[in-house]
Amino acid sequence: MTLTRFAALNLFRNPLRTALTVAGVAVAVVAFLLLRTVIWSYNVAADSAVPDRLVTRHKVTFIMPLPKRYIDDVRATPGVKDATWANWWGGREPNKPTEFFATLAVDPESYFRVIDEMVVEPADLQAWKEDRQGAIVGDMLAQKFGWKKGDTVRLESQFFDGLYEFRISGIYTATRRTVDRMTFLFHWAYLNEKAPVEARETIGWIMSRTNGKPTEIGRTVDAMFDVKDVQTISQDEATFNRSFLAGFSAILSAINVVSIVILLIMMMILGNTVAMGVRERTAEYGVLRAIGFLPKHIVTLVVGEAAVLGVGGGVAGLLVAYPVVQLGIGRFVEENLAGFFPYFRISPENAVAGFVLALVLAALASVIPAWQAGRLSVVDSLRRVA
Amino acid sequence: MSSTPAEPLVRLRNIKKTFFRGKEPVRVLDGLSLDVPAGSFEALMGPSGSGKSTLLNLIAGLDRPTEGEVVVGNKTISAMSESELARWRADNVGFVFQSFNLIPVMTAEQNVELPLLLTKLSKSERLQRARTALKVVGLADRVDHYPRQLSGGQEQRVAIARAIVNDPRIIIADEPTGDLDRQSADDVLTLLGRLNTELGKTIFMVTHDPAAAERATVRRRLNKGVLE
Repeated sequence: MTLTRFAALNLFRNPLRTALTVAGVAVAVVAFLLLRTVIWSYNVAADSAVPDRLVTRHKVTFIMPLPKRYIDDVRATPGVKDATWANWWGGREPNKPTEFFATLAVDPESYFRVIDEMVVEPADLQAWKEDRQGAIVGDMLAQKFGWKKGDTVRLESQFFDGLYEFRISGIYTATRRTVDRMTFLFHWAYLNEKAPVEARETIGWIMSRTNGKPTEIGRTVDAMFDVKDVQTISQDEATFNRSFLAGFSAILSAINVVSIVILLIMMMILGNTVAMGVRERTAEYGVLRAIGFLPKHIVTLVVGEAAVLGVGGGVAGLLVAYPVVQLGIGRFVEENLAGFFPYFRISPENAVAGFVLALVLAALASVIPAWQAGRLSVVDSLRRVA
Repeated sequence: MSSTPAEPLVRLRNIKKTFFRGKEPVRVLDGLSLDVPAGSFEALMGPSGSGKSTLLNLIAGLDRPTEGEVVVGNKTISAMSESELARWRADNVGFVFQSFNLIPVMTAEQNVELPLLLTKLSKSERLQRARTALKVVGLADRVDHYPRQLSGGQEQRVAIARAIVNDPRIIIADEPTGDLDRQSADDVLTLLGRLNTELGKTIFMVTHDPAAAERATVRRRLNKGVLE
């Protein structure tokens, strides 16, 4: 018998209350992990940007196009090693219009040189370059829609009329887990020839690989276009990603607050449970004090009991959260919200934070009841015996 | 035991104890003096509110007098701090309560081992002592039983084993038979008598039960804070 074992044994006095409390902590930990994973996944997508990559877009908003000729000017800028472009096409499968995935019209010659975290078999890449209606799709997207190399796919656009027919030339994979594997890539030239006249010879944004100083080069690029008909803003990729997702940041801030509030609620529930236990055991603490236990021993017992509850709830929360997120919600989010959350999984740091916070907040929740138990007068406590 | 039966183990001198009911002082003990010889078995009786429990608490080092001196052995416990008193109680006093107060989630052996957690004894030494104490009270075959698996009399005997496991000089018993039937009460009183005669423990018992008081070698009566 030790004081720690004594504290743990106290949890078996009322197994139902203990089980419900552990379940309450576990639910709070699961909710906390889910919300923190949303924030982490958002940030990891932005933070995993390639450091030397520069993104140039229309100065007003990224939904306004740039003249196609700008790509040549960017490529000619000192410090730019390579450059490519993309147009947002807003494509969707006509039979599954609610299934979202990104569709980009790109330059087949340069796209995979600049976006080298996406990997395609060389033979497939060559076949794609040679097929004006060819498409390269992410492996997760192919799996989701059951597409195979050689399949014909018809998609419609939110912005352009008519059906566009594509042939799947290949499937791309990713070198990092944070890369979106749900994108549909096709020839910009195919779009350009089918698009209305006013939309032709325009591009969405330019992506450049630089000599490692994208911010400096970005200033040069923007200065170059400042005197032209369409002005630009150039940002390193991480900044661009964040500005692209900026509309989501207020929600993320709210999620952040809610995740903390959930833990505080958990702390109050635990504090109440511990306080109930202390109240019921006042006489017992009086007996312990009578036989020589000091206030610090009583405090240790109460805090220890709460800590064991926190550990139990933390472990249970992790055991529930992992399958729920890694096998369920995470996969769903990655398939349906890949643009925002290409990699939606519980990070080790969030798992550790969830567990440690459950433990620490449980111990903190018990501080007041423990302090009250420790300062009880022995005689007053024993009076509740009879 | 260093004291002989003739020497007082407990000496109370001019004890006054005042409580406050709101702002109104209530004097419970008024100039009480008492000697309890080492090795004696004393019973204290008296009506409710006479100050029995207060006196018991002072002798046990659970409370301090408003005025006066409490000396047990050669220690003036009325001058000790809270933590000094706690350590002194752990070394010198065994407690037996009316409602047993065993920890329900612990076995008999674990309950008896409890006071030894405050010592530097090894686990095996603690268990050895706990088993010996349970053997003394006749419950060697109940070491793994939980309180709910024991009768009231057995629970009180486990409590007595807990009271003697650290070999205290004095055992304080507060209505030890109050929650027991006659037969169990007799068994408990017989056990207390044996602890007194065979192990030389000084026992100071508060009781309302005249039959229990009869088992003591000295009987005192307290009335309105004064020993009669």
